[in-house]
Amino acid sequence: MPRVNTFKVKVHTGQQGMSEPVHFNFNNHKLPFENGTGSAESGKVFEGSFDVNSFAHSLTLVGPESGKWEIEKFSIEYDCENEKPYTVQFGRVTLDETTEVNIWQDPPVLAFDV
Amino acid sequence: MNFIKRFFTGMKQEVEPESSVAEVEKSPAPEVSQPDPEPETGDVSNFPPVRSVLQIASISEGIFPKDSDEVLIKAQPSPTGDQCLFTVNRPLMKGHSWYFSDFESAAESPLAEALFCLDDVETVLVCESTVTITRKDKTLVDWVPLAKEIGAAIREVLMADNGLIAEKIISGLPSEEEIREGIQNVIDTEVNPGVAGHGGNISLLAIKGNSVTIQMGGGCQGCSAADLTLKQGIHTSFRKAVPKVGAIFDETDHTAGLNPYFS
Repeated sequence: MPRVNTFKVKVHTGQQGMSEPVHFNFNNHKLPFENGTGSAESGKVFEGSFDVNSFAHSLTLVGPESGKWEIEKFSIEYDCENEKPYTVQFGRVTLDETTEVNIWQDPPVLAFDV
Repeated sequence: MNFIKRFFTGMKQEVEPESSVAEVEKSPAPEVSQPDPEPETGDVSNFPPVRSVLQIASISEGIFPKDSDEVLIKAQPSPTGDQCLFTVNRPLMKGHSWYFSDFESAAESPLAEALFCLDDVETVLVCESTVTITRKDKTLVDWVPLAKEIGAAIREVLMADNGLIAEKIISGLPSEEEIREGIQNVIDTEVNPGVAGHGGNISLLAIKGNSVTIQMGGGCQGCSAADLTLKQGIHTSFRKAVPKVGAIFDETDHTAGLNPYFS
C-alpha cells in the first residue's frame, strides 16, 4: 500500500441528508475533514480534503451518529507517494450510526493493450 | 502523525465529562470513599460502538470503447508478477470458468492449445471474458514480450471462430451444488484443520457456475503469507478434491477490522 499524501472527497447526498459534520476514519482514527465546503444535507454536495502523510491500512466514510445518510454518489481523489494521482468513484450507499463505508482503493494496476 | 494527536485529544475531551457525571449520579453518599466500580465500566462503554464496514464496488468507466468490432485485449500483470490477467472485449466462456493445468488438459480446446504452444505458458485459466496465465520462468517480471504473444494467440483463435473450449468440457460442467458440496467438504476436512494451527480459517462465500469465492479469516486475514497459503495450499487442495472447479477468488479484505494480522 502506498503512502497517502492527501485525499479529497466529493459527496452528493440523495433524498435523506444529515446535518452533522462529515467524518472519515483513517486507520481507525475518526476525524473531520479539513477545508470542508457545502454540506451533507438533502440534495447538497459536500467537498473536503485531508493531508494524511501516512500509510492507509483502512479508510472509511463514517455514517451519522443518528439517523440515516443517503449518499447518491461520491468520488475520492488520491494523491499518493510515487503514484500518479487517481480518482475512484462509488455509487449509492446509505449509512447510519452502525455503519461506515470503505473508500480506500489501491492505485490502479498498470494495464496495457496487446 | 498530527491526526493521531487530534484523535486522542478529542477522545479525552469526550470521555472525561461523561465519566464525572456518572460518578456523581452513582455516588449519592459523599462520605463513601471507595469509588463505585460501576463508573469504570461506564467509562469503557463510552467508547463508540464498532461500526460495520460496508464494501461497495467502485464504478468502472469500462476499459474498452463500446461497440468495437475489433478484438481488443488488455494485459494486467499482477503486482507480484507471477501471473497476468488478459481481459477481452467479448465473452470466452459465459457463466463458467475452466482451469487448464497443462498441455494435455488443453486437448480439443483451441484457445488453451494455442496458448500452451507458447514456450513460457505454464497454466491457463479461462473465466467469462478473461484469461489468466502463469508463466514457467518465475524469475522474469517483465510481461510485455510474452503478453504480446499471448494477445496475438487469443486474437487469432477468436478470429478463426472454431470454438474456444472443448465440447466435452462444456457438456460436463458440474452443477453449483456439486461444486459447493465438494469445496465445503475439503474446507472442513483439510483446509481449515490445516490453517487452524495459525489461528486462521477459510469460509466459502459464493459459488457462481463452477467458480468459487472464499474469504480468509482469523490469523489468515492480513497475514503476509496469505497469498502463498491461497495459491500453494488452498488452490491445490481445491483442484485435487474437485477437479472441475474453475476460478478461485479470494474476497478477503486484508486491511479491514481492528486487528488484522500485521497491525
